[in-house]
Amino acid sequence: MQTEITKLLGIEYPIVQGGMAWVAEYHLAAAVSEAGGLGLIGSGGAPAEWVREQVREAKKLTDKPFGVNVMLMNPESDKIAQVLAEEGVKVVTTGAGSPEKYIKMWKDAGMKVIPVVASVALAKRMERCGADAVVAEGCEAGGHIGENTTMVLVPQIVDAVNIPVIAAGGIADGRGVAAAFMLGAQAVQLGTHFVVSNECVVHDNYKKAIIKARDIDSRVTGRTIGHPVRALRNQMTNEYIKQENAGATVEELELLTLGGLRKAVVEGDVTTGSVMAGQIAGMVKEEMSCQELIQKLMREASELLGGKRFE
Amino acid sequence: MLEKIQELVAEGLGVNASEVVETANFKEDLGADSLDLFELVMSLEEEFGVEIPTEDLENIATVGDVIKYIEAHK
Repeated sequence: MQTEITKLLGIEYPIVQGGMAWVAEYHLAAAVSEAGGLGLIGSGGAPAEWVREQVREAKKLTDKPFGVNVMLMNPESDKIAQVLAEEGVKVVTTGAGSPEKYIKMWKDAGMKVIPVVASVALAKRMERCGADAVVAEGCEAGGHIGENTTMVLVPQIVDAVNIPVIAAGGIADGRGVAAAFMLGAQAVQLGTHFVVSNECVVHDNYKKAIIKARDIDSRVTGRTIGHPVRALRNQMTNEYIKQENAGATVEELELLTLGGLRKAVVEGDVTTGSVMAGQIAGMVKEEMSCQELIQKLMREASELLGGKRFE
Repeated sequence: MLEKIQELVAEGLGVNASEVVETANFKEDLGADSLDLFELVMSLEEEFGVEIPTEDLENIATVGDVIKYIEAHK
């Protein structure tokens, strides 16, 4: 099964697992890569040496290519960028900004660079700076999001750049995969469903919250302060939105979310923690292994596309 | 040059050109978010034939900063 992305990355299936902070650690990344997709370790706000350790552990579990997502607002971004080049990581994706200043170093180290973008202008800029591909992520996604939906964003970015596009945001089954291909994507990235996989180490309460979620259960906090984040509705999001509407300061709002994701992922506090998940959580009903999930996605998509792309 | 910048900023951010004064802060006064700023930088680069790398972008907060940057680099 070949697309421009599988050829670029040397993987079997055009499925990428999102590099979610705290959630995407080496067990998950290695399992996805072993199953033929591209697994990513999410650096989030972690220190550079944690990232190095994770990369080394992932290598013990798989010989196949995997990548690391660098969250560019991390104060240790410079060090992490260096660590990835030193450790021979094959693929890097980036979020929350533009990775321009690292691209040359990464390309010199033979890495493939794939920024996550939420607008046409940023996609064009990344192409000009030498990116190998982009992830076009719509606001259906969980965590930090942009303004456009996947349906709107993907075809416009596909038209605007000559590098391959990976669609993300709102995909959790073969119908979503097939639709993304119809919009011109060469691969898809999934986050939420990979959280609900056997190999994902998040607290069981987190998985249960996603399985229990209905279509209308996610909320976006922080739009008014320019940092929109999607998470499942709970006491934390309710309180946040109440204070946000009342005109709370950025500092006051940040206090509410401080350590919130860790609280939910590690401690299983899904009431006052931040249960980041995409809108598609409503469709995730069953936990399975990464291999089962990838096989299911490919089987369903291939039936829908009439075997045209998926032989 | 100020006029052209005013025109591009006003169009890009949907604000009145009269608000685009040298002291206006893109984020605080003109309501731009980070995606808007990238959009704007791309159009300024095209108009004035300069390249503004992201590192330099971090030092640009106001309309006056943009004017100074373009004058120094074109």
